[in-house]
Order: sequence, then structure tokens, then C-alpha cells
Amino acid sequence: MSARPRHWIQSLLDSAPAALFAVVLIVFGLWSDRFLTVANLTQILNQSAATAIVATGMTFVLLTAGVDLSVGAVMFVGAGLAGKMALAGQPLALCLCVMAGVGLLIGALNALLITRLKLVAFIATLATLYIGRGTGRWITQTRAINLPDAFLALGSARWLGVPLPLWIAGLVILSAHLVLSNTPFGRQIYALGNNPEAARKAGLRTHQLLAAVYVICGFCAGLGGILALAQLGAVSPKFGELYEFDAITAAVLGGTSLFGGRGRVFPGTVLGAVLLKSIFNGLVIVQADPYLYPLITSGIVFLAVLLDSARQWIRAGS
Amino acid sequence: MSPSTASTDLPASIREPVVEFVDIQKSFFGVPVLKGVSFRVEGGRILGLVGENGAGKSTLMNLLGGNLQPDAGELRVEGRRYAPRDPKDARASGIAFVHQELNLFSNLSLADNLFLSDFPLVEPRRARFPPPEAPGGQNRGHAPQRALESKSGWRRRLRLPWIDRQTLHARATELLQQVGLDYPPQTLVERLSTGERQLVEIAKALSADARVIILDEPTTSLSFRECERLFALMNRLRSRGLALIYISHALGDILRLCDDLVVLRDGEKVGGGTAVEFNHERLVSMMVGRQLSQLYPNRIQPSAGNSVRSDADGTDLNPPPAEPSTPVLEVRSVSRPGAVRDVSFSLAAGEVLGVAGLMGAGRSELARILFGLDPHASGEIRLLGRRLEGNPRQRIRRGIAFLTEDRRHEGLCLEASVAENMALVTLARHCRTPVRWLDSAGIGSAVRRMREAVRLSPTVLESQSVRTLSGGNQQKVVLGKWLLAEPRVLILDEPTRGIDVGAKFEIYQLIHHRADQGAGILLISSEIEELMGICDRILVMCQGAIAGEFQRPEFDRERILAVALHPSKQ
Amino acid sequence: MTTHPSNAARLTKDIVGSEYFVLFLCLAVFLAFAPFTPGFASRGNVANVLVACLPLLVLATGQTLVLITAGIDLSVTAVIGLGSVVGSLVMGGDAGWLRGSPLATPMAVAAMLGTGALVGCLNGLCIAWLRMPAFMVTLTSMMFCSGLAVWLARQAVHAESIYNLPPAFLALGHPGGLGALLVALAVLVAHLLLTRTLVGRWFYAVGHNPRASLVSGVPVAGVIVGAYVLSGLFASMASILLTARLETGSPNHGKTLLLDVIGAAVIGGTSLFGGKGRVLWSVYGVLFLTLLGNGLNLVNVSDFLITIIKGGVILIAALLDVWRSRIVRGS
Repeated sequence: MSARPRHWIQSLLDSAPAALFAVVLIVFGLWSDRFLTVANLTQILNQSAATAIVATGMTFVLLTAGVDLSVGAVMFVGAGLAGKMALAGQPLALCLCVMAGVGLLIGALNALLITRLKLVAFIATLATLYIGRGTGRWITQTRAINLPDAFLALGSARWLGVPLPLWIAGLVILSAHLVLSNTPFGRQIYALGNNPEAARKAGLRTHQLLAAVYVICGFCAGLGGILALAQLGAVSPKFGELYEFDAITAAVLGGTSLFGGRGRVFPGTVLGAVLLKSIFNGLVIVQADPYLYPLITSGIVFLAVLLDSARQWIRAGS
Repeated sequence: MSPSTASTDLPASIREPVVEFVDIQKSFFGVPVLKGVSFRVEGGRILGLVGENGAGKSTLMNLLGGNLQPDAGELRVEGRRYAPRDPKDARASGIAFVHQELNLFSNLSLADNLFLSDFPLVEPRRARFPPPEAPGGQNRGHAPQRALESKSGWRRRLRLPWIDRQTLHARATELLQQVGLDYPPQTLVERLSTGERQLVEIAKALSADARVIILDEPTTSLSFRECERLFALMNRLRSRGLALIYISHALGDILRLCDDLVVLRDGEKVGGGTAVEFNHERLVSMMVGRQLSQLYPNRIQPSAGNSVRSDADGTDLNPPPAEPSTPVLEVRSVSRPGAVRDVSFSLAAGEVLGVAGLMGAGRSELARILFGLDPHASGEIRLLGRRLEGNPRQRIRRGIAFLTEDRRHEGLCLEASVAENMALVTLARHCRTPVRWLDSAGIGSAVRRMREAVRLSPTVLESQSVRTLSGGNQQKVVLGKWLLAEPRVLILDEPTRGIDVGAKFEIYQLIHHRADQGAGILLISSEIEELMGICDRILVMCQGAIAGEFQRPEFDRERILAVALHPSKQ
Repeated sequence: MTTHPSNAARLTKDIVGSEYFVLFLCLAVFLAFAPFTPGFASRGNVANVLVACLPLLVLATGQTLVLITAGIDLSVTAVIGLGSVVGSLVMGGDAGWLRGSPLATPMAVAAMLGTGALVGCLNGLCIAWLRMPAFMVTLTSMMFCSGLAVWLARQAVHAESIYNLPPAFLALGHPGGLGALLVALAVLVAHLLLTRTLVGRWFYAVGHNPRASLVSGVPVAGVIVGAYVLSGLFASMASILLTARLETGSPNHGKTLLLDVIGAAVIGGTSLFGGKGRVLWSVYGVLFLTLLGNGLNLVNVSDFLITIIKGGVILIAALLDVWRSRIVRGS
């Protein structure tokens, strides 16, 4: 009976990220003529690649109504270890494998804590966040590491005219999207996030599903670390700090719910990541006070969470 | 589905049981819950499992469904020993459990829900060899799959866990048709009504090729029509040779629907046989273990709320009741779009006013408006002649109380203790200003007094968490919480749902007692017999409006039901 | 029936299930460190520990109130930084608006408390009215407040630290001074509020089941907003103590405390799911963490190792909670 107006509001909320994206493009485009150029837009996409990958992993976790706060720490530990190895003359490929491996390992640790030891996801990953950052600082001895040029070359390499980071991000996003939409595993993740008790009763292997989700998230964080490292060319003691916010924000901005069971990697999370990076890129171009960035970021996170909650009210009301 | 169709024609002695329970025992924390239960379930028949809450029905079915394991005894499925370790084992053995609370995923499509743990996958290349089971007629949808073979051949060379959408949708459509649901398989479950979701659950059971389907209280939240639809489907499944186990407190439905009955009491089977050997009275006395002389308490009939007496021992805690001419609650053309339309009635002191109607007729919505949980667009509510406004908190202070239909989510703090729950509404009466210091002795004695009054089971401790209580005792805690507030108007929404016969009787007595003390009672119930048993007057709601009113002498089940179904035909 | 619990098992169960379990743990830590670290058991060090734990104590008390309502407040450490900057900007010697005035200290204290209450109130409103998840709301306000603190300090003094605070304010931070007394009083008040008053009962009821509480006439939104306002107020008290003790206003005060705060509450036995917890338990938790940190410091553990250990401690705390409830339930 009263379903129609609600439906209307719902679709308005669903299109909010796209609308926001358009607004950002228009505002910064009018503000500075250097924003809407092909070079800058490619730059934005390039900058979004790492965030998009980490946010893709985060989407898996958020779909199960969990959260992974340790992604930034994963990036830091991996980068620190890879940096040390690279300086010691190890081949680049091995360093990259180690970074991804660190992601898998910390992801597996989170999975163990959450599924076996039954800790709340947010507490368990908060603890691994601290443990990870402590370990990272121990590895790097709290000093910045400048990496060999091979790393930077990785970031600027192109294939068929498209930068390598975009290929990697595209591959990760595509496989994540297909896994979520078209495999039993993916559909079962949605079920688990919607109603864990019912998922258990339906005979799903809830523990394995949950564990897999955290391992995937850790792995994506490792990959994202590689891309971020390839862009920066150095490991600072603050490397990866607050990346968990970016990842959560990108996912939630793209329509993934913190309450579990709803969200998509493509276009949702990807759009969220690009939107986030466009804003920062625009702020840099218009030369805003860098000390305002945290305030703006938190404003965007707030908006994203508010939108998610608004969708939740509508769902609860209907 | 074919194996047992033929056997239904054979005499009972030869019929092969699909499931057999042999001397099943189970204890929790040393307390025996099942004390050696044995019976058999046959294909092509519906077995009704009845018993009071705590008789062991759910435990028994959880054993069969693989959620629990027996301490002793044996389960047999088609003659073979069957010891499921988890629900997955049970499903593999052809046993499907349709739970009371539905286990569907509202964010997924119907097709995803039906095949969640067993998606049809794209077959690898070697599927061009004819699958061995195909000629036997037992194939589960391989035919459409082979039809697809020419398409998307590259996928087939890889053995990917890739959902075959076309097969999925074809099989889902077929299953949905079998249960009589006319939706495309891509429809999201959140768009379905409760009754339709119940049918999806059954379709899910069919998707797993179940031979035995357990239905645990499937009708509690279904409308009259949805129930009829469910029963028709159950009859169809029976004629296809499936065995159904049906658990319900609605004994009328049980007697109408079931072929065999098993009565449990205190973990033992106290009776069983074909349904024709039973009637309502025999069933009840077997369940309760004694002859219940009556189902509803007698009340010395006040003529619609003007003679209000105090207790037998003269302890009248209340102010003298309102004059009979001034009703305690007056509702004047209250409307809320989409919920209730132009509802007007008045409730006198000492009156028990029933509200009958189908699910979705607007009864609970009306109650929520009266209590201030939902707003109303137009109309007026008056309590003792003064306008009733504000949030629930302000209305509770004016003397209104509301026992909601959702005991677990809106009635109780499950982890909190009996005493904490009971005292919650009336805490403010036991504090000293300005810092609202609590008088714990006063609270303690009030709770003790009330637990006696509501006849909470003597084994229950006041410090015990209410989660551990039986449904009947939980409901008594909620009722006690509201009775402590000594309300002038007590709204009860399905107060006896899912509660056993003995506790029901006591709750009826408490309702009458409160009415005798001068309160007006608004009783919402889906059981028309219950309303006829304890109300002075019954309003019938249909599509958000009041469609009819019956005084006690005119009570008639058929007529009330007729009005609830077709308001125009009154 | 086949297993008879031995006396040892029963004793374990008694100790683990006891309300004072964490106090026993404190004793164990104390005994473990005492032989290896010469200064550990000295009267000076014990007094030191007691004074050092005050900011954490007041924070953990506020957090306990929020946790009981099934919420969480991650913004408290940022409130410390923001309060410190705001207070210093009111009274500070370099850039304060009221520098040199006799009103400087009371006004600064009021401004700091007001900051905490305001942030808490906004958190509470978002959570209670807009029904946003507490964890995300307070995470966002943590980012916002710490960003705002840095920005304010940069705007005012082009640096992050503000020095030359008035002596009257610094006196608040003296061990045994007025500040310590007020904090102890605040913790006591919180304890009494929870255990003895109507409002305390409402806190637990909301934590158990907000919907049932609403139906039972509990002002749920008010309770939730109140919990966050109190948490903000308590955080600004910690801010006053830290700012006075360190004699600078800085956005970085208390930044490392977040894990300790939650760890202390959880170690004490307060549940993250709401409805269960006591101020007294958190006091034990604080004592435990402070003893542990103090001991590690005295045996010269490096900074990053302490970060790792703190991460480990919160894990152990959470594990302990799971383990304790399992043992007490006797399965």
C-alpha cells in the first residue's frame, strides 16, 4: 500500500553515490580546469587502484557483517618486510610474493581468532592492527626505507597503453565480482551476512566461509600494499595508516551495508573508491589546507554511514 | 519421491516405516528430556506430534534434524541405522526441517534460497558421456543441462564452481510451481509475505528430495487463508508418498489434518494411534495428564463492566473504579494510512473486550497506535476522559499497559533475570528523588508478591535469566511486569501464543482477575474459541476497519469468522 | 554423571568465576615482576602506579557505561586531544584568549568538559536517533576530533603543542591534588549510578534489549545519549589530568590509550554485547593493565614490543571472557 513512496526513496538512496560522484566531478571541474583532463582522470584511477583492491577485500568482510581493521597494518608489515628484502638484494618477484603472503597469513590469523576462538571481529582485528603495526615498526626499526627503482617502475609500467596497476585492480575486481555473483561460495557469503543462524541451520559451512572471507581480505590488503608501494617508492613508518578507513568508506559509499548481506564489488565498491580518490585529488588541485583533509574524510565517512543507516530504516520500515 | 507411493495401499502391519524412533533418550545437564520414546513415521501419511511445551517435541525433532545427538536409543531411516552429526547429514538422508522461525535469506532471490547449499553447477566437458543415473528416472534436472551443452563450451573445460543459472532457474520455477507459488525465481524473498515464505521453505525441502518433512508450528504467523493454502499443499505432498511430521498447538488443525498422532508428556510417549481414535478432549487430557474440566475459567459475569468487585480477601489496591457510564478507554475514528481505518470503540472498566480478525487485519497495528509506538494520522484516543498522547512512557504513566505479540524481542530482556524483568516498568515507583535512588527491598517484595500472584513455577529462581524459562513462564513474567503497574487499560496481543494448555488457563484467570479489579482489557487473539471463552464482547476487524461487534450471548464461531473474512456479508 | 569434578577443578572454577578474578590476576602480575625488577614493589613505585592509572581509570569508567548499553565509544582518545587543545587555547600563555585572567583556569576546565559533553552528545544523537552503528559513528568522530585538534592548534600557534599553562591549572595534575580527588569521586558516582539508581537499571535494560525497554517505558534514546555524554565528560576529565600533568596542551595526548581503555573494560568482564558490566570490574582491569605496563617499562621493553603486547593483551582479554563464561557454565 505505502510501498511505492518508500521504493522511490530507496532508489534515490541507491543512486546517491553516483549522484555524489557527478557532483564532485562538476564542482572540481568548475573550480579548476586541470581537474577534468584525461591525464588527471587517469591519475585518479591510478591512485584509486590500491584503495579499490583493499576495499574489494573489505567488501567480502562487510558482507558477513564483520569488519577488518587490520588491513593497513597488513600493508605496513608486508611493505616493511619486502623493503628489507629488496635492500638485501632479493629479486622483486619474491618480495611481491612475500607481501601477498603476509596478507594471507594475517588474514588467516584473523580468521582463526574469529571463527575458532569466537572473538568479535572488530576486537580481534583491532588487536591484530596493533600487533601488526608494532611488528612493522620492529622490522623497519621505525625508519623510512627507500626502495629500489624496480618498485617504482612497476607502478608506471604500461601494457596496451593502460597502467599496470589498473590491470591488476581490474583483474581483482572482476574476479571478486564474478565470485560473489556467480559461485555458490559468493551466494553463501550473502546468506551468511543476512542471517548467520539460519545459514548454520541450512547446513552451510559457516566457519569456513567466515574464515575464507578474512583470508581474502588479508590477501587483497597485501596486493593493495604492493600497488601503494609501487606508487610511493618508499616505506614510511606511517605507511598504510588509516587505510582501513579508506577501505570501509569506499565500500560503504558504494552501497555495501555495515549490517551485512548487501553490497556489490562492481560497480558499488569500485565507484566508492574512485569517488574517494577524486575528492582528494580535487583537494590537492585546488590547494586546500592539508590539515583539513582528516576533517573532510571523516565528513565523507559520516555521510556514507548515514546513507547506509537510512537504507536500513527504509528496509526495516517496509 | 516414488519409493513409497505404492506402499500406502498396504495394511498397516506391513507398511514400511520411513523413520523409526527406537527407545530414544536424551538429557540436558543431567535432566532427562526424553525418556525412551519409540514410534514410527510412515510414508504417505501426516503424523501429528502434540504435547505441552517442554514435553520434548522440539528435542525429538532436533535429533531427527541432526541438530542434536541422542544419548541412547536408535533412529532408523528406511530400516537403516541413521545417526546424523549435523543438519547436512539429515538433509542427505532425505529429512527436511521447516522451522518455526523461517530460515530464509531475505536479501537473496527465491532460486538462491532454494539451492543455497546445493547449487547446480556448470558441468565439465566430459558430461557429453551420458550420466549413469539418467536412465533410471531419478535425474535431478540433468536434462535441461544437457540441452545447454552447445552453449558456452569454453567454460565446461574448466571445472569451476560456477552456478548454472539456467538450470537453477528452470528447477526453481518447477519447485515453486509444485508449492503453488507464482513468482519468477529471481524475486527477492523480502518481497514475500510470511505465508508465502513458509511455502518457500517447503519448496526448499522438496529441492533436497526430502522423504520426510518436519513442520514445527508452521501456522503461528499465518493468516487464515495462508493456513488453508499450506494444508492443501500438505495434503498434496501426502498423496505423493512423503511422510510429514506436523507439530502444532492448534489441536483443531491437528485433528483435521493428521492421519496418525503421537502425544508426548514429560519426555514420554503417553499415547498414539490413528487420528480417528482421538477427539479434542481426549487429546487435551492426555497432554496435560489429568482431566481438564474446562479450558476457560468461569467468571461471575458482570453485565459488561459495571459491577466491579475487589478480591475475595478484600485487598483492593486500586482506586475505586470509574463510573460505569464513563468508559476507561474511548477510541474515536482513529486512522493510520495502510494500517487502520476509522476505528471507534469504547472499553468499559472491568470489561474484557476481544479483537478478532485475520493476520494483517490491523489488530496489532491498532494496539501499537493505542500504546504510542506508532503515530496515527487522525482521530482521538481518550483514557478516563482525558486525551491520551505522547510516547509509550507517558502513556504507561497514565495507566496503559501493552503485552506485545513478540515476547522475545519486545517483551523481555532475555539475558536479564526474572526479577529485573518484572520490576522494569515499575522501577520509578520505588525510587527516592532527587537522584532516583532505588529502594531494592521494596522492589524485591513487589516482585515476590507478583510472582506468587502470576503463579510462576516454584522452581524458577528470581535471579535466573529468563532465557532459560519455558514459554509459559516467560509470558507470566511479562504479564507480571505489567500487572505490577496496575494498569487501567491492559492491551494483550496474542498472550497465549505458543503456550501450553495449563499455563493458558492460568493466564486467563489473571486476565479476569485484573478486569475484576477495574481495568479494561483489550484482548487480541487469533483463536476465536479463546476470545469466546473469556471475553465479554468481541470486535471483529477486517482490512484495518472494525467490521462487526458481537455481545456475549451472540458469540458464534462461524459468524465471527464469516465477518472476519467477508465484512459485507454480516 | 560419569565425571566427578575434582577439587582442583572446582577451585579453578571458583577462582575463575569469582568477581575478584582480575584482582587475583593483578596479584599474579605483581608477584611475577617483583623478583626481577628491584624497584617494582617499592612504595614509591606503587604510589606511582596508582597515580599513573587515573586517566585510564576515568576513561574506562566512561567506556563501561557505554558498553553496558551495548555501544562502544572509540572517540574518547580524540576527545582528550581536542579537549587539551581547546582548554589550552582558552587559558594558554602563548595564545590563550583568557591568558593571565583569574578566570582562565575555571573557564578552561569548563570549556574542556563542554567539549567532551558536546562530542558525546553528537555521538549519542547519531546513534540513538539516526540509528547509525555506534562503532562507525565514534570511529568517525575520533577521526574528526583528532583532525580538528591538530587543525585548531596549527591555526592558533602554528605548532601542535601549546605551552605555558597557568599554575592553577597545573596544580590539578599533582598526585593527590584536586584533580585526582575529583576523578575518584567521579568514578564513585558512576559506580553508584549504575548499581543503586533507576537510571542505572535503565542502562542495563537498554543494553539487554532496547526494543523491550522502549515498550516498558524506558527512555531509550535518552539513556543512550546520556551514556555517550557521560563518556565524553569522563574523557575530558582524563584530558584535564593529562594536560595538567604533562604541562602542555597537545592533540596527541592519550592517543595510545584507546586499546588500553577497551582492554581494561573487557578484561574486567564487561561484555561487548551489552547488559553486563560493572565500574568496579573496570577498576580491576585498569589496575591490571597499569601494573603490566609499569612492569614491562621497568624491565626495559622497547616501544614497538609494548605495542605488540598491548595488542596481545586485548586478545587475551577477549579470549578470557569467552573462556570464563565457558568454564563458569560448566561445559
